[in-house]
Amino acid sequence: MAAPVIDTLAGERTRKAAPAPRKGGRFSVHFAHYKWLYLLLLPGVVYFAVFRYAPMYGVSIAFKDYVPFLGVNGSPWVGFRNFEDFFANPDFLRLLGNTLILAFLNLGVAFPLTIVLALLLNEVRLSILKRTVQTLVYIPHFLSWTIVASLSFLLFALDIGPLFQFLNNAMGTHIDFLSDPAWFRPLIVLQDIWKNTGWGTIIFLAALSTVDQDQYEAAIIDGAGRFRRVWHITLPAIRSTIIVMLILAIGQMLNTGFEQIYLMTNALNREVADVFDTYVYFVGITQGAYSYSTAVGLFKSLVGIVLIFGTNWLAKRFNQSGLF
Amino acid sequence: MIPRKLSLAAAVVTATALSLTACSGGDAPSADLTSVSIMAPFLEAQPPAADGAVQKKLEELTGKQVKINWAPNASYEDKTNITLAGSDIPQVMVIQGKTPGFVKNAQAGAFWDLTDKLDKYPNLKTTFPDIQKNASVNGKVYGLFRGRAPMRTAVMFRQDWLDKLGLQPPKTVEDLYKVAKAFTEQDPDGDGQNDTYGITIPKWGALGTNSPYDVIEEWYGAGNRWTERDGKLIPSFETDEFLEADRFIKKMVDEKLINPDFATFDSTKWNEPFFNGKGGIIVDVDSRVSVLINLFKQADPSNFQNKVGFVGNLEGPDGKLHAHPTDGYSGFLAIPKASVKSDAELDKVLSFLNTMNDKDVAVLLNNGIEGVNFTVENGKAATIKPETPEGKAVTTDIKSYAQLGMNVAGNEFYPVKQPSDYEQQVFDKRTDVMAQDLKSAVYNPAAPYVSATYVAKGAQLDNIVADARIKYLAGQIDEQGLKDAIKLWDTSGGDKVKDEINKLWQENK
Repeated sequence: MAAPVIDTLAGERTRKAAPAPRKGGRFSVHFAHYKWLYLLLLPGVVYFAVFRYAPMYGVSIAFKDYVPFLGVNGSPWVGFRNFEDFFANPDFLRLLGNTLILAFLNLGVAFPLTIVLALLLNEVRLSILKRTVQTLVYIPHFLSWTIVASLSFLLFALDIGPLFQFLNNAMGTHIDFLSDPAWFRPLIVLQDIWKNTGWGTIIFLAALSTVDQDQYEAAIIDGAGRFRRVWHITLPAIRSTIIVMLILAIGQMLNTGFEQIYLMTNALNREVADVFDTYVYFVGITQGAYSYSTAVGLFKSLVGIVLIFGTNWLAKRFNQSGLF
Repeated sequence: MIPRKLSLAAAVVTATALSLTACSGGDAPSADLTSVSIMAPFLEAQPPAADGAVQKKLEELTGKQVKINWAPNASYEDKTNITLAGSDIPQVMVIQGKTPGFVKNAQAGAFWDLTDKLDKYPNLKTTFPDIQKNASVNGKVYGLFRGRAPMRTAVMFRQDWLDKLGLQPPKTVEDLYKVAKAFTEQDPDGDGQNDTYGITIPKWGALGTNSPYDVIEEWYGAGNRWTERDGKLIPSFETDEFLEADRFIKKMVDEKLINPDFATFDSTKWNEPFFNGKGGIIVDVDSRVSVLINLFKQADPSNFQNKVGFVGNLEGPDGKLHAHPTDGYSGFLAIPKASVKSDAELDKVLSFLNTMNDKDVAVLLNNGIEGVNFTVENGKAATIKPETPEGKAVTTDIKSYAQLGMNVAGNEFYPVKQPSDYEQQVFDKRTDVMAQDLKSAVYNPAAPYVSATYVAKGAQLDNIVADARIKYLAGQIDEQGLKDAIKLWDTSGGDKVKDEINKLWQENK
C-alpha cells in the first residue's frame, strides 16, 4: 500500500535487498550518494537506539533474581525460573483468559464500530453537521481514564446513579453494575467505545476522502442505492486501510489498558478483571517482584509479536497487502 | 554548513553526557562529616525550599550541613530502589515500611544492621523495645523506627442522632449492632423517611490494613493478623472468631445496617454520608474525629458541638476487650552501607541522628520555630494567629520535615493546642481513651518476622482471602466458599508461610 506513495524509498529498498555484485566499495559509493537521506534518518535511529533499544537491556532481569541494591548486572541469573513459576501458577490461565476475552471483545465490537461510525460520518452530506459531530465524538478521547471511571461510578452508583436506575427499571432488575462480575466486561467495552471510537475514525475518514468520486457518480447512474455504493465502492476502496489498522489493533490487543481496568476493579469482580497489565503492576510494583513481573510482561510482548506476524502473514495469504 | 551544525550538535551531546556523568559521580563522605545527606519523602505539593527557615535552623542546631533529597511520596519506593542501584547514595534513607523490596535489599546487605549499636546513644536507645522489634526484620534492626501512636482505633457516631433516639454510646459489639439498627430503622434525622443507615464502610478490602473488618475481627478475638493457638502462630482468618465476626458483619449487611456499596464506595468520600446525615457510624482511626468536627465547624461555626461522638475499642462477645493497635511505627531511617563505609563513619552518622532526636530538634521538626509560627502555652504549642508569611512557610515546611522525626523514646515535642475549648476537651478525651485502650492492646505476634514465601507472593495469597471476605459479605459466596478460600490460601503457599513464620517465632522467642 505504501509502496507507490514513496517510490524513491521503495526503489531504495529493492536495491538494498538484491545487491548485484558488480564492484567493490559499493557501500561507500552508495553512502556518499544518499548521505542526505541517511542524515535525515539519523535522529530516528538515535531515538530508537537510546529510548527503545537501550532500555531493553533491562529485560534481562526477567532471567535473574533482581535485587535493586545489587543492580541489573549484580543480581544472580536464574534462567527460566520466573517463567516456569508463572506458567505453573493457577493465576496464569485465568489471566490469559481474562486478557484474551477482553481483547477479542474490544476487537470484535469496538473495532468494527469505528468503521461503521466512519462510514456513517462519510454519508453525512451537510458539511457543518458532519464537522460538528466529528469534533464532538473526538472529545472523549482527551479525557483521562480517571475521569471516565469517575463518570461511570457516578452514573452507575448503587441505587442513586441515573443509569443504574434507568437500566434496572427497564430490565426490572436490581443489578449493581459496578461490582457484578457479569457486567464488568460489558462496562469496560462500553467505556472503550465511548472514549475511543470517535478518535479511531480519523484514519478511516482520511482513507474515505481519497475514494474516487467518479465511481459513485457512475454507480448512481447505474441505479445503485446507498448501501450498494457503500458495499461495492467505499468498503473495497478502504480495504487495505482496514487491514493495516486491524493488524495494528491486533498488535496492541493484549494491552488491555492498565488504568481503565485498575480503576474499575474491586474485590467482587477481580476474578474477571485481572489481566496481564494489572497483574504486572500488582506483583511487580506493590510486591517488589520485579523479575517475575518482567517475565510476565515479556511473555505478553512475545504473544503480541506472534499475533502481529501471524495476522500479517494471513493478510498476505489472502492477497491483501500486509503491513510489512 | 551542515557539517558544522552537525559538529555543534555532537559537541552538545558530548557536553550533556559529561555533565550527566558529573551528576552521578556523587560526593564522597568526608572524614569529619561536615555534611549529612538524607533521602526523605515529601507529602505536600512541593518539597521545602533548600534555604527555608526550618532548614537553616536545622543546620544550626545539628552543626552540620544537612542535604535533604526530597522525593515525592507517591513514587518513593521506586525512587528508593533506583537510588540504591545507583552510585549517588545518601547516608541516611527514610524507608517507609518493610516492603518486599526493602527486605530483599536489606537481606542482600544494603543497610547496616543496627541491632546492637543503638544503646550507647542516649536518644536512640528506645523506650519501646516491642515496637523496635516489630520494625525489625526477623529480629535484625535495619533502621531507627519512626514512632507513631500505637492505639488509634475509635468508633465515631452522630452524637445528635444518639441523643435523639435516647441511646447510650456503644460499649460492646452487640451495642454497635443495636445503635446501627436504630440509626437505620428509627429515623434518627427525623425527616419521616427511611433514608439512613448505620455504618459506612468504604472500598477497603486488603487484609491487615486496619480496615473496619480487621478491627471488628480483632474485637471478636481473632487476633491481629496472626494469633497464637495451641503453641503455634496461625493467621487470624483461620480462627473461629474470624468467621464469627464476619457472620456478625454479614448480618448487618443483610439487614442493610451498612451501606450496600461497601465493596466499591470511594474511601476519599468516607466523611460525606456522616456529614450529610446518611450513615451515622464510622470505624477508623481516632484522628478522624477532629476531621469530622471540623466539617461541622466549617458548615456552622456557632453550632458544631455535640454532632460527633466517639468511643474507643468495643468489647467482644466474650466480654473482653481486645483492642486493635497498629504496629506503632511508620517506616524507619536506614543507613546504606554503600555510602557509610566503616564503623567509624557509622558512629558519626548515628551521633548525628542522636542530635536529630534532641528535644529542640524534635520541636523544630514537628512544631516549627517558637515565636515564628507557634508559642508555648501551658506546655502546648499554640499556632500564632493571624499567620505571618514566615509563620505560614514554617508550618508548611514542617509537614515535610516531620518525616525525619524518629521519636524512638516518645514524643519530645509539644502537643498542639486545639483552637477551641470544646475541641481541646475532645482532644484530651481522645488521648485518655486511647491510653486506656492501649492497656488491652492485642499486638501482632508475627510483626517482626518476614517469611521468604510471603515476600515472594504474600500479596497474591492475601488477596484470595481478602476478596473472599468481601464476596461473602456481599452474598456472592456462602460461608463454605469463604472457608474454601482460606483452604486455598493454605495450599497456594500459605502453609509454607505458616511454617516459616513459626520457625522464626520459635527461634526468636
